[in-house]
Amino acid sequence: MDKFIVESMNFYYGDFHALKNINMKLAGNRITAFIGPSGCGKSTFLKTLNRMNDLVEGSRVEGTILLDGDDIYREMDLIDLRTKVGMVFQKPNPFPMSIYDNIAYGPRVHGIKKKAELDALVETSLRQAAIWEEVKDDLKKSALSLSGGQQQRLCIARALATKPEVLLMDEPTSALDPISTLKIEDLILELKQEYTILIVTHNMQQAARVSDYTAFFLLGDVVEYGDTETLFSTPANKKTEDYITGRFG
Amino acid sequence: MSNFKIKNRVKDGALRGLIYLCTGLTVGSLLLILGYIFVKGVPGLSVDFFIRDFNDKTAYVTLQETDDLGVQVEARDDGFYITSMEKGSPFASAVNQNGDRQKLTKGDQIVSIGDTKLTAENCGDLNALLPDTGQVQAKVVRVGGGIFPLLVTTLMIIGLSLLIALPIGISAAVYLNEYAKPGKILRSIRFCIEILAGIPSIIYGLFGMLLFVRFMGMGFSVLAGACTVAIILLPTIIRTTEETLKTVPESYREGSLGLGATKIQTIVKIVIPASAPGILTAVILCIGRIIGESAALLFTSGTQARIPGNLLESGASLTVQAYLAAKEKGDLSMACSIGVVVILVVILLNFLSRKVGKLMTKF
Repeated sequence: MDKFIVESMNFYYGDFHALKNINMKLAGNRITAFIGPSGCGKSTFLKTLNRMNDLVEGSRVEGTILLDGDDIYREMDLIDLRTKVGMVFQKPNPFPMSIYDNIAYGPRVHGIKKKAELDALVETSLRQAAIWEEVKDDLKKSALSLSGGQQQRLCIARALATKPEVLLMDEPTSALDPISTLKIEDLILELKQEYTILIVTHNMQQAARVSDYTAFFLLGDVVEYGDTETLFSTPANKKTEDYITGRFG
Repeated sequence: MSNFKIKNRVKDGALRGLIYLCTGLTVGSLLLILGYIFVKGVPGLSVDFFIRDFNDKTAYVTLQETDDLGVQVEARDDGFYITSMEKGSPFASAVNQNGDRQKLTKGDQIVSIGDTKLTAENCGDLNALLPDTGQVQAKVVRVGGGIFPLLVTTLMIIGLSLLIALPIGISAAVYLNEYAKPGKILRSIRFCIEILAGIPSIIYGLFGMLLFVRFMGMGFSVLAGACTVAIILLPTIIRTTEETLKTVPESYREGSLGLGATKIQTIVKIVIPASAPGILTAVILCIGRIIGESAALLFTSGTQARIPGNLLESGASLTVQAYLAAKEKGDLSMACSIGVVVILVVILLNFLSRKVGKLMTKF
């Protein structure tokens, strides 16, 4: 079942043509990794999927992106889209408030006020993000007092609290140490059961370890897209091969 | 040593001397001003200075029928002061001409009892001045010389003007930092704010007098004063708040928007709370500014040195009264005492504004 269907999508930052005629189908309840050298457009592509690029002055999208058949730029409400498609950023960005309030933030802005309901959501989300055991005794503590890896899992929990269907992850482990990275990767694999996960990564091993499908971006083009094993073992394109074997990038 | 080197060394020494001299002049004049005000003002400070009314208040009170007044008075240069008072004294339950109770205390003056003025001769035994029967009237004076009403007025103006200026200023800063697109309009708004900050406060005073006092019919009142001061505060609030909004990491905004929050939810729930320390600093700076403000208030909130009964009554702030005391009554020591209070409060506020920033960034 395809979650996202991207058809002849072009993206511009002012005059700069950042994504060139992208056609892609992204599978539901799978992990798809986007790899490629810096500036290749993989993060930009990720951000078009929940319209975070709207925030960038002078940006422009052409073509269509369908989420479960609905055009996200023309048919869907922006708030609904971002509720359905959660995002985890490159650097952990917990809000300067308590752990509890961080998780409850999303549900609260969507109108949930009952304390019992919020309590339950906070607990489930923190459990899902595998951080509940570490923080359950001091939910009132500032989220900024957690370690980097804990903060990132908190941010994942925060994204899960709004009950999304898709999770976008923009290099979620690039700011973390190896042990925290491993924990996040385990978590991603765990979450695959219930969520569609799209992950941008600079780390080829990570893409190989966690993803079902991989897309290789270069200069705004999708050079190759297919299931991860095939792409890493027998890449069809010479450029892909050069990149994954470390000859450039 | 070569000629050139000597020349250079002399030049260096001369310049260094000049710099020291300038620094010395700056620090010296500051110390001189503070010293003068403290030397003149500190002797006038006492508990009474803070709790008494500004003006003397004379009243005729009616005393219950009695044959023992139960008070002792002491003759001083300017009148007869109550030095001790027994519990059942009729002075403790005196009634003034409006029919209200006016309880007299130690430190009040008695001018006359019945028709008899107090003199050095008769003040030893006041009971002798009582008539044989019936109630008796006494003329009494509650001595002023305190700044209590000025403190109250100043606090009222601080509270009211912040109440007006903060929402406007913060909203404007939010607009400038979060909504406005860079360009001609934004530049001209910034320019206007700069100008607003540079206008001397007496001009604001004149403007306030024309607009609030006359045109809007507020009269010389605390409200008119607060409105005028609120305008003066706007540039400070806008600029300080904007600077803080800029320091709120973009990742907070992204995080909030990414969770499906609207822009306004993001601003109200994330951005403004995250800039609370800066906004609080702005508030403290503003309080300092209000306390020091005199020219604008002189024209708008008036010169009545008593506690305003409501917002439409006139009331003099500390600095207005300091000006009046020095300029119109020639009472320099009073002006300096007020000056000491103002300086101490401003120093305290500066200290606070530094502490607050540090304390609030803990979260």
